Amino acid sequence: MVQFYLEGDRISEFVAHLMKQKPVYAPHRKGQKSFSFEKTENAEDVVLDYVRTMHSIKKYFLPPREELLHFDLTKNESDPVEIPMSEAVFLGVHSYDLAAVGRLDYNFTVGSPEKNYLTRRQNAIFIGVSFEPDKFHFSGSVGIRPEDSTGCDIFLTKLFDGYVLEILTDKGQELMEGLNLPAHDAGKPATGHFHQHIFVPQAKLSEVMEHSYDNPVWEETAGKCVGCGTCNLVCPTCYCFNVEENVDITATKGSRERHWDGCMLREFSEVAGGEVFRETLAARQRHRIFRKFKYISDQTGQPWCVGCGRCTTYCTAGISIVSIVNRLIGDYERAAVAPV
Amino acid sequence: MNLSELKTPAELEDLYHPVMAEIKEVKRLSAMETYYRVELPGGEDLGHMPGQFVELSIFGVGEAPFSISSSPTLKGSFELGVRRAGMLTDVLLRQQPGTKIGIRGPFGNGIDVEKFKGKDVLIIAGGIGLVPMRSMINYVIDNRDQFGKLIICYGSKSDQDLLFTDELAQWEKDPAIDYHVTVDQGSDSWQGNTGVITTLIPGLDLDLANTVCCICGPPVMYRFALLSLKSKGFADENIYMSLERRMKCGVGKCGHCQINHSYVCQDGPVYHYPDIKSMQEAL
Repeated sequence: MVQFYLEGDRISEFVAHLMKQKPVYAPHRKGQKSFSFEKTENAEDVVLDYVRTMHSIKKYFLPPREELLHFDLTKNESDPVEIPMSEAVFLGVHSYDLAAVGRLDYNFTVGSPEKNYLTRRQNAIFIGVSFEPDKFHFSGSVGIRPEDSTGCDIFLTKLFDGYVLEILTDKGQELMEGLNLPAHDAGKPATGHFHQHIFVPQAKLSEVMEHSYDNPVWEETAGKCVGCGTCNLVCPTCYCFNVEENVDITATKGSRERHWDGCMLREFSEVAGGEVFRETLAARQRHRIFRKFKYISDQTGQPWCVGCGRCTTYCTAGISIVSIVNRLIGDYERAAVAPV
Repeated sequence: MNLSELKTPAELEDLYHPVMAEIKEVKRLSAMETYYRVELPGGEDLGHMPGQFVELSIFGVGEAPFSISSSPTLKGSFELGVRRAGMLTDVLLRQQPGTKIGIRGPFGNGIDVEKFKGKDVLIIAGGIGLVPMRSMINYVIDNRDQFGKLIICYGSKSDQDLLFTDELAQWEKDPAIDYHVTVDQGSDSWQGNTGVITTLIPGLDLDLANTVCCICGPPVMYRFALLSLKSKGFADENIYMSLERRMKCGVGKCGHCQINHSYVCQDGPVYHYPDIKSMQEAL
């Protein structure tokens, strides 16, 4: 492995070097406290030292709205939509967001591989960056450390006002050609500690969930939840979508579009005739949590929650996923030791 | 998951692009339900099994899942029985033979007919649950020698709502079919049974060790049908049921049809009862 040191005052030069080669998507400041992945127009606008973006890079592979086909109503015919291939660099990605891309890769390849997602995904280049956990990050509890470079072509670890830059793949090597950085022979600095933890590993969580179907926490959480679906929208591993028709103003042409959907919304499980199969917020909260820690996890051995903390950070009602899961663990363990 | 092991995306099939199929025949079945016979381009067979469904779409209106009502033994076209329930079915109702509609599928697992072969087949269908069950019924009728006795229990809201009445009359006359029908509320001219579908089950003459059952009906029906079958001594492992959920994409991606861990469009819609007994959202 080759390591270099990227000094703080050379970051813009590094970004500009990347921009000369490919489109670069990176975190930008949005307002005073928010960050957002955007296409980089000015190298100086990129912020590598950020807390978290509201949306993950999921939006580039599974766009919030996407045309699936175009139709012509006068001819009753349709054409497939050209899916743009993303030859792009995703710069400044945190380890949990890259882990989330891995989870989506599974969802969109298992069974019937999906052309739309995979076309967008196939040529992505990732430059990861370490992060300092804030009070909502808990990715360490799901096996994702701030310094994890899994899936990255290049990885940056914060050191003083600059970064230790590791080249991890040939693609990464190619990108760096022509930019001379000083070699870094010393080790990498340790990254920070998490302030939130899930108390048991995934293997045990599955067992906990197995016994938590009727836990009162679902009703209690439902008492606070307003069913807005924000947790679904900001989750980097939520991939559910709905499909709708969009007819243009001439009423002769249009497109079939998919858009992000969320299992916390009442209509999500509604069928023709009005039957709703998860009518209560409690049932929907349970479904959301079980989808992150049980259903797919039992098949793959991995939690489908990557510990980014977004659902908790942005919850309009202050619901914490870590609190729910730890409550389930506590109740399960108390029941296990209680005398019969 | 290693993406490089996959075909290049350009070679992958577009999962969401429908083929344009032609409506060949339209018949009113009842006040709410309509029959359609649909032909794929070139009269190609749909290649389905009883219990499977298609995604039907009309451009500018929408796309939704519909059970296939014809048996695979019908060649050259397939049949649907559609209840008017929303915008898409309203628009569909106005379509005449010759109209082209979008079709994707067939999707879902369908009924594992091998499990029914050599056995007596009991069909319990409530309301438009008859639409997919008719596929199995006609499959059994067309492959008589492969199955034992065919027993049909059909329940409907009223005698006005009975579907496929010509076929019902044939089933009733057929000495090889043990056909029972009931309506929740009959009109003045109704001579048959009155009461919910479960009232038909106690009187059935069943060879319990040699009968396999398939149930399809409104959500509320399953629990009561199961209770009746159990008190009759029917074993769980001889029960299959077709469940309705919102199968929006049909290819296991969109998430809408999930029952606990199971995607109905992939593992269902036909489930073996022992497999879903412990799935609390199923019934």
